[in-house]
Amino acid sequence: MTTGGIGMAVARRDGPAKVTGAARYVADTPLRGALHAVVVPATRPKGRIAAIDTAAAAAAPGVVHILTHANAPRLGRVSVVLAEDSLPPLQDDRVRYEGQPVALVVAESAGQAAEAARLVRVSYHEEPFATDFDAGLDRAEPVATFFGQPLDTAWGDFDAAWAAAEVRVETSLATSDRHHNPIEPMGVFASWADGALLVEASTQGVSELREALAQALGLDEARIRVRSPFLGGGFGAKGWGLPHQLLAAMATRVLGRPVRLVLSRAQSYTEHGYQPATRQTVRLAARADGTLTGLAHDVVAAGAFVGDYIEAAGWDTAPLYATPSLRVRHRRVRLDRLSPSAMRSPFGGVGIPAVEIAMDALAHALDMDPLALRLRNYAEVEPGTGRPFSARRLRECYEEGARRFGWADRPRAPRSLRDGGLLVGQGMATAILRAFRFPAAARVAIDRNGHVHVETGSHDVGQGLSTILPQIVADALGVPVDRMSLGIGDTALPRTTFTGGSSTTMSVGSAVQAAARALREKLADAGANGPEGYAGALGALSVDRLAADGAYAPEGDEAAGPALFSYGAVFAEVAVDPDLPVPRVRRVVGVYDAGRILNPVTARSQMTGGIVWGIGQALLERSETDSRLGRFLSKNLSGYLVPVNADVGEIDVAFIEGDDPHASPLGARGIGELGGIGIAAAIANAVFHATGVRVREFPIRPEHLL
Amino acid sequence: MPESPVPAPAPVRFLLGSAPVALADADPTLTLLEYLRETAGRKGTKEGCAEGDCGACTVAVGEPDGDRMRWRAMNACILFVGALHGRQVLTVEDLPAPDGSLHPVQQAMVENHASQCGFCTPGFVMSLFALYRQGRRVGRRGIGDALAGNLCRCTGYGPILAAAEAMWETPGRDDHIARQAEAARTALEEMAAEPLVGLARDGRRFLAPRTADQLAALLLEHPDAVVLSGGTDVGLWVTKQLRQLPTIVHTGRVAELARIEDGPDALIIGAAVRLSEAATAIGALYPDFGEVFRRYGSAQVRNAGTLCGNVANGSPIGDSPPGLIALGAEMTLRRGDTRRRIPVEAFFIDYGKQDRQPSEFVESITVPKPRPGWLFRMFKLSKRFDQDISAVCGAFHLEVADGTVRSARVAYGGMAATPRRALRAEAALVGRPWSEPTVRAAMAAMAEDFAPITDMRASAWYRQEAAANLLLKVYLDSRDGGAPSSVLDCEAA
Repeated sequence: MTTGGIGMAVARRDGPAKVTGAARYVADTPLRGALHAVVVPATRPKGRIAAIDTAAAAAAPGVVHILTHANAPRLGRVSVVLAEDSLPPLQDDRVRYEGQPVALVVAESAGQAAEAARLVRVSYHEEPFATDFDAGLDRAEPVATFFGQPLDTAWGDFDAAWAAAEVRVETSLATSDRHHNPIEPMGVFASWADGALLVEASTQGVSELREALAQALGLDEARIRVRSPFLGGGFGAKGWGLPHQLLAAMATRVLGRPVRLVLSRAQSYTEHGYQPATRQTVRLAARADGTLTGLAHDVVAAGAFVGDYIEAAGWDTAPLYATPSLRVRHRRVRLDRLSPSAMRSPFGGVGIPAVEIAMDALAHALDMDPLALRLRNYAEVEPGTGRPFSARRLRECYEEGARRFGWADRPRAPRSLRDGGLLVGQGMATAILRAFRFPAAARVAIDRNGHVHVETGSHDVGQGLSTILPQIVADALGVPVDRMSLGIGDTALPRTTFTGGSSTTMSVGSAVQAAARALREKLADAGANGPEGYAGALGALSVDRLAADGAYAPEGDEAAGPALFSYGAVFAEVAVDPDLPVPRVRRVVGVYDAGRILNPVTARSQMTGGIVWGIGQALLERSETDSRLGRFLSKNLSGYLVPVNADVGEIDVAFIEGDDPHASPLGARGIGELGGIGIAAAIANAVFHATGVRVREFPIRPEHLL
Repeated sequence: MPESPVPAPAPVRFLLGSAPVALADADPTLTLLEYLRETAGRKGTKEGCAEGDCGACTVAVGEPDGDRMRWRAMNACILFVGALHGRQVLTVEDLPAPDGSLHPVQQAMVENHASQCGFCTPGFVMSLFALYRQGRRVGRRGIGDALAGNLCRCTGYGPILAAAEAMWETPGRDDHIARQAEAARTALEEMAAEPLVGLARDGRRFLAPRTADQLAALLLEHPDAVVLSGGTDVGLWVTKQLRQLPTIVHTGRVAELARIEDGPDALIIGAAVRLSEAATAIGALYPDFGEVFRRYGSAQVRNAGTLCGNVANGSPIGDSPPGLIALGAEMTLRRGDTRRRIPVEAFFIDYGKQDRQPSEFVESITVPKPRPGWLFRMFKLSKRFDQDISAVCGAFHLEVADGTVRSARVAYGGMAATPRRALRAEAALVGRPWSEPTVRAAMAAMAEDFAPITDMRASAWYRQEAAANLLLKVYLDSRDGGAPSSVLDCEAA
């Protein structure tokens, strides 16, 4: 029997529960006399509520209570990272965005609540609003900081480099608003009993949600427990302190009965954020041999008057290439919409494609192979700072990717590859992902039967946490994974940070490893010389169960250490019918360096899902805004196109493996969002190669290729 | 008041797994998904979108098919329980054997790591179950088609397709499904004999007759009734627009309308014939039409929706009308005992307005068979391969003899408020040599045929250009003697 330790292709442990329907999500929780709540959203983007007539709704069958700003309890201000952008609901008569909750109808059944919600009549004093991003570009304002750090970067003299350049290339890229659209719409189940609040929510951050609830409701955190059961995808959507979560908690506290609130698909478009549109310009100055002398990346991102979210699209531009001058600037146009938020592969996932399209244009201008241009400008140390990179194997990614794809056979000229009547194109791009790490804690316990229980507050959003944590413990203790159980997604368990930023394996995984190693020490101290001795060690200690805690925290001064990134090289092939130019992705090769791979199966799944995320970004996904009504136009999965299986060609994923001891004690780096970076540019560059038309907009409009 | 010629309705009965269910006092628009989750306590079937887009609510709906049972994947979220009479519903909870061991489909999903967040998984499992139980192995393309109506946001689909390829060889228990099938078939056949079934609550009704005469009589009795075929559109009136429908009359149980009559010159496709069956029959005669059907909605939608319903609902962007119009198909409308037959193109009067009187229903559509010397081509143009509303759908039916175009019927969806013929383009073709100059002249004339709109799917300019280029494509393909039959058919090399 193998233990299923680190690096092994252990099958997803939650697979059987998921294929039988036994896995329970928030909307599946047994009811136990719960009430159902439905949000009434504002239908105008800006103004004041003139009146809310709830008489008809209140008289409808089954209705128990209706909350509006007139009768809702006052909530405290929430200041939790990434939750600050959603204001506590029902606090005043102001309407700040279409979809903002203006009432909450609570009834005995979900159907009754939905029916009564239709009967709530809201009239507005409307005010002029601005939701048209392009119309607002002239009032774009600089954004100085990002999570408390300076956002923009500059070194050298770009203007001088541009003026003196032998070759200059300027490209633009417009990206669209995109919604996460996890297949599970968000839900929350809240119950108030004996002065304590229990909340079950589809959230990626139980601790942050508890903090937000404590602040909003003025409760001690100790009186709040938040659990996140199985989560039907998150991708950044399933945050904390969101209006519906506060509303459900408010309602259960007012009514003293459990309250469930599940968002509809349409409501999901205005209850949590979205990836905001950007308008980006990249200028590259180079010598005739392709050596970069300057890189300027200008980002204007759509923002909101509510909150301060900025899509930091240029944040990971600096580490891409060696260049003696660089200037990255961000500006924002605030709009009367709900706040945008981070969506899978944020920041660089939005901005790196702009740079990589420019690099492709430069290669074309120089009649140079696009991969050779990247290698010509390969950064051996972190540009700008001169810091060493920690275990950078990007060159190997390029080489292996090119080999697997057959890049060497690619003719350089656009429109030179054909398959019957179809134009075929091949493009490539670089991916780079900053390593985010957050504090985390864990506990590992063993009993006399040799059963191991692993506990940590973190979440399995589908990435496979519940599979890799036992693997980490198996590695440390020598106990097979099928002798383990796992507790996650609960504030009653050791505290972790939200699941996001591809941080979880490094952070939570390292905490679990520390706990398992601490437990092994304890067992060894009690005489256990390996797994066979564990039962005896517990006997010697006269305990039935022995537990150890572990924690992880990033070093204090990250800037003092080496530069930490994950890397990838992505190659794509598309085919386009020249007369009806709808591009189709035929195949993708992605080769990645993400440090040590804990489970090749879950890692490959993550990268594949990310690549499809990028296919959607390049070809399909757009949340259209109706600027006349100030609302998103297509709040459903028939108007918002996520890829279907036929939109996905063959995907080949490989890793250049190796430890990164600086990234985490596990030697692993983040991978969750790496696959979604670079792929859209590889597709765009392949479309150029196929058609000779430079892509300037995501998703690509077929008519631009005509 | 004359006595109604139809009897009082009996309860709607169906099998949930092997358990009989009878409903009489229920909301006529109660969906199967609501019933499963709220009444039956089967939480494995998920709601992801409530409009038949995501497939998380996919269940297998079984019916007797000769001496066996046949299960088809359908979306429970837009399937009214009233439409289930005489059918069996299997959900993800029904698949494991009584001893808890997994069905081969489930086992293959586990072994191939085909589930990540897991929310879409039960829907994929049920789509694959329907495919598995079809009894005939299919290749990658057939698997992809079977799963086109299931969205996954995590896996990138690869592992799910791999699970599908492996499921026929994966060990697991399927014998319990086979064992209960015979009993289910017997029970369902007994239910089928019921003359009229229905649901009623608060003065609103769902009525499902067994004969076409009853159907006609019921519609005379309830001129305001909504005629429900597959419900893939009407379902959205309820789940999205929250409309209350007073009376629903369902065509789905009428056996005589569920037939395709294979005549010498034409197929006559009855009102209750599913799109999936119509697609097979029409696709066998007109491969391009079959290719459009393949990308039309999803397997779940095609298993519920009907061809007649797709026409009758009058959408300007339905994908079958352009093909039917180009082929010169006709439709038979019936009101009481009165029938009339009109060309399909005449049915579409204006946006949201069709040539159908109260109490009248579309009884059948007559599709002419291929004639010697005629060429038929059809293309669906959409950004997403499957499950996407067409920006343009074009159909071309041309008679070319001795190098000259003798007749031309060219019809488009997405170019006007109704599916319409391009009469000026047709005129520019007829009587002229089948040559590039003729086609270019027709493309120019087409600019006068349509004034399409710009919307989120495509600009007016793109629609014009692409519509014209489709005609060019027809010509170039005919000259080159066969090219890819689908404009989006760019499979991996």
